[in-house]
Amino acid sequence: MAQHDMLPAETVHDGRLGISDVVAGSCQADAVGPAGAEGSPQGRDSSPRPALHTPDEPVSLKGLGKLAVVLRSMWSQGEGRFALVVLACWIVVSLASIVWTPKKLWETDGYHVWAPPSADHLLGTDGTGADVFSWLMAGARTNLLIAILSVMLAGVVGVTLLMAMVSRSKMVSAISVVAVDALISIPTVLIALILAVPMGASIAVIILACGVGYGLNLARIARPQALLAAGSDYAVSARASGASGGYVLFRHVLPNSLPSIMVQLSLSAGTAILAESGLTYLGVGVPSGVPSWGHSLSTSVKLIDVYPLTVVWPGLTVTVVVVALNLFGDVLRQAIDPIVNTALRKVAA
Amino acid sequence: MPKMTGAYNDNDATDEMAEDTTNSSVEPAPDAHDSDTVNATPGAIENGSAMVNASDASAAGSGSGAISTSGSSTDPSLNAHVKHVRGAGAVSRADSRDSIHRRGTVRSGGGVRGVRQGVIWTIFAIVVVVAMIFVITFAKQQAPKVKPAGKPADTVTIGLKLAPTNLDIRNQSGSSLDQALIGNVYEGLVARSVDNKVVPAIAKSWVRTPDGKSYIFHLNDGMSFSNGDKLDASDVVWSIDELMRNGYQGADTLLNFKSITAVDERTVRLDLTAPYADLLWVLAGRPGLVLDKDGKVDMKTQALGSGPYTVAKYVPNSSLTLKANDRYWAATKPATQTIVLRYFSDDNAAVNALKSGAIQVLAPIDQRLVSPFKKDTDHYVVASGDDTDKYVLAMNCAGEKTSDRRVRQAIRYAINHRELIASRGGADKPLGGPIPSLDPGYEDLNDVYPYNPDKARELMRQAGYTPAHPLELRLTYANIYGTELGDQLRSQLKAVGIDLKVNVVEFSTWLQDVLKNHDYDLSLVDHNESHDFASWANPKYYYNYDNRDVQLLYGQAMVSLNDKDRDDYLRRAARRVSEDAPADWLFNYRITTAMEKGVVGFPLNLNQTLLPLSLVKYTPLV
Repeated sequence: MAQHDMLPAETVHDGRLGISDVVAGSCQADAVGPAGAEGSPQGRDSSPRPALHTPDEPVSLKGLGKLAVVLRSMWSQGEGRFALVVLACWIVVSLASIVWTPKKLWETDGYHVWAPPSADHLLGTDGTGADVFSWLMAGARTNLLIAILSVMLAGVVGVTLLMAMVSRSKMVSAISVVAVDALISIPTVLIALILAVPMGASIAVIILACGVGYGLNLARIARPQALLAAGSDYAVSARASGASGGYVLFRHVLPNSLPSIMVQLSLSAGTAILAESGLTYLGVGVPSGVPSWGHSLSTSVKLIDVYPLTVVWPGLTVTVVVVALNLFGDVLRQAIDPIVNTALRKVAA
Repeated sequence: MPKMTGAYNDNDATDEMAEDTTNSSVEPAPDAHDSDTVNATPGAIENGSAMVNASDASAAGSGSGAISTSGSSTDPSLNAHVKHVRGAGAVSRADSRDSIHRRGTVRSGGGVRGVRQGVIWTIFAIVVVVAMIFVITFAKQQAPKVKPAGKPADTVTIGLKLAPTNLDIRNQSGSSLDQALIGNVYEGLVARSVDNKVVPAIAKSWVRTPDGKSYIFHLNDGMSFSNGDKLDASDVVWSIDELMRNGYQGADTLLNFKSITAVDERTVRLDLTAPYADLLWVLAGRPGLVLDKDGKVDMKTQALGSGPYTVAKYVPNSSLTLKANDRYWAATKPATQTIVLRYFSDDNAAVNALKSGAIQVLAPIDQRLVSPFKKDTDHYVVASGDDTDKYVLAMNCAGEKTSDRRVRQAIRYAINHRELIASRGGADKPLGGPIPSLDPGYEDLNDVYPYNPDKARELMRQAGYTPAHPLELRLTYANIYGTELGDQLRSQLKAVGIDLKVNVVEFSTWLQDVLKNHDYDLSLVDHNESHDFASWANPKYYYNYDNRDVQLLYGQAMVSLNDKDRDDYLRRAARRVSEDAPADWLFNYRITTAMEKGVVGFPLNLNQTLLPLSLVKYTPLV
């Protein structure tokens, strides 16, 4: 046990040096993943075969090579390319908006409200005469922040719960399963409305509500897969050879649940952006004066009958980004899956 | 090696199946959140009204009271939006599933890049098509409609915004009740005209004694209630006695009341402990209403009065149907047999009802939604009427930073009222002081603090603020007024070196923090009441404005023996208040009414508190 704790990397590396049989074994263990994510692993004959190590690898020079391969294989698909381009634009615009927007954000012009697009105002103006394009640009960074922080929180909450749910202690796992099942029935919006009572309208409300809500979902969805991995022969062998519970979790269980966690997280990012719009419309999201896509939408949506164009721009932005995030998760899952992605196997080997 | 390939193929098959099901099992969770967002919307948004009775804070707390154009819910449009977004979500889902299957073919048969690019274009195309459908749908809705030919309609349906909670005019606060019933079902001793002056009603004339403490009212002949009971001096005396004894709504505005007696069957005498210049105007509201002392009705769902209409049907929060009173005592009979008042809490729904012909009149209509009707002059008439709504930007006179008069003056100079009004559609009027044009003592005070950012900057410098050390203020106001005003004020004040932090809160929070606890720097609210100058003479009100001169002038106005003196004192007091800058009056809100061509006799002024309907007539266009 002490040996494992001290030299985990080396141990794994020793395993890596093995023959192709080993690779095949690990791949099969991985392939059970999606079946597990579906939630009914019993229906299929898919008991994992023993594996000596996980498909995952510590970060190294090889890690960078892997990243390049993953990106390249994502780029080679239409959906992936679309997602990458949109997300890259999103990040670039967010960063750019910190130093520059076409018009100052606080500039209003009461004499030119709801103006149609013109050379002066690329996407027209809103109800205060402020430049819609500038607000959307600045909104990009707020939404980026919300997406990133929500996903991080969802990841932490989800993985923590996941670990509790697959714990070997019957009591911990039973209680956490019941707790997650009960809590998952509370809608994110309700969590946000409750949080907004003491906190008022703030970005933190969105992040907390989304982080907790999506974290619960994540744990629930990744559990079957994690259970399979935890009960697999290789996990049992690891434990028999003296590995600690934590080691098994981080070496075997988590990496095996990673594909469904990835998909779920990227879906969460998209949903967080939709939630931001919804919550801001309800008045418990982004506070007044902070640019966000939800703010641009909620201020113009009342007048959709009269000025439909002003609503279309933020709506279109949200739609495109959310589609991109959903596609991103999908393509990423394929790209990091060594079974599907042959190029990745070559780097790994 | 062959064994390995076999294994991969096998896994592939599992993978694809699993992925398909994963997609369908993963999706419902975010979807469920979506629908939650939508379902939660109407309830959360439609939280009613936002008006403050200057004289009666608790009445404001009850939730109904008047109208704001800015705060409104928009369920149809939101739904449309969410559908739009969700539609795209569905696309991505279907698409990703598609791609999984195709991936199989691509892998075995080599790359078919064109197909994938096609997918991207499909996504774009769908999004663009959805956007175009939007535009076209809304353009279509403006198409002219066919109208039946005919003579004056028997029924006119009127769209209003705030619905009365119940019909109990004695106990239920809220101007929507005054709007629906006073002058239609109930009549008072005297009434208000469309320019807010006192005119005869049940009393055909009155005399004031020289000391101003007694009023003699001479009543009309042959009056009766709609149930046939005779209306005479005893009903008047009983109604006002009951009001004062039980403290019904409005009793607190009937100041200095001593007694009311019937001199004979057609003469009533009202005695005061001291002169009260607003007495007649107050009697034209709820305190002066005459009810049948022998009538037995359930006040919450029925109304028995002497007016030109009776209540035929009342559906809480939805509609109120009025039928002409066959026994109406006056010579002029109602022009339309049946009038239906329909209540729309949602502005877009109201506009659609007008477009579809479900209602003939809509008052008020959001100024920003009005342009399609303004353009369609063949079918609609759009007009604005005066009102007493004052959008008051109060500056806490006891506040840490706003107690400095120079700061308050700077803010008044910094605000460009014309721009604010233009952005709202241009119907509102600038207002330089606390008294609007329909109230006694009005004077145009817009030249006291004209828009002058240079002067504002100079005053800020004198007060010790520089660009490096700007003044930070927070503005607290209720979300029903929308975020635009706050954004605009922040923009305008930024130009003179004030950092405005806008805090848009629930109306209940505003009541608690600002009205009750006086905890604010700047506050914005629509004070809609007429004759509400008293709040400036009350140092305990949330303005924290305490000026002895103003209080004395107001006191003198209230005991003055004729209207000219009263108006003079009020005028001087109002100028004094405006000069001290305890607040800025952003504008005097005016009501915009849209109606079908062919509707006549609909009052435009003050129609949210006073809506006499007996002259309303609708002749459908041929």
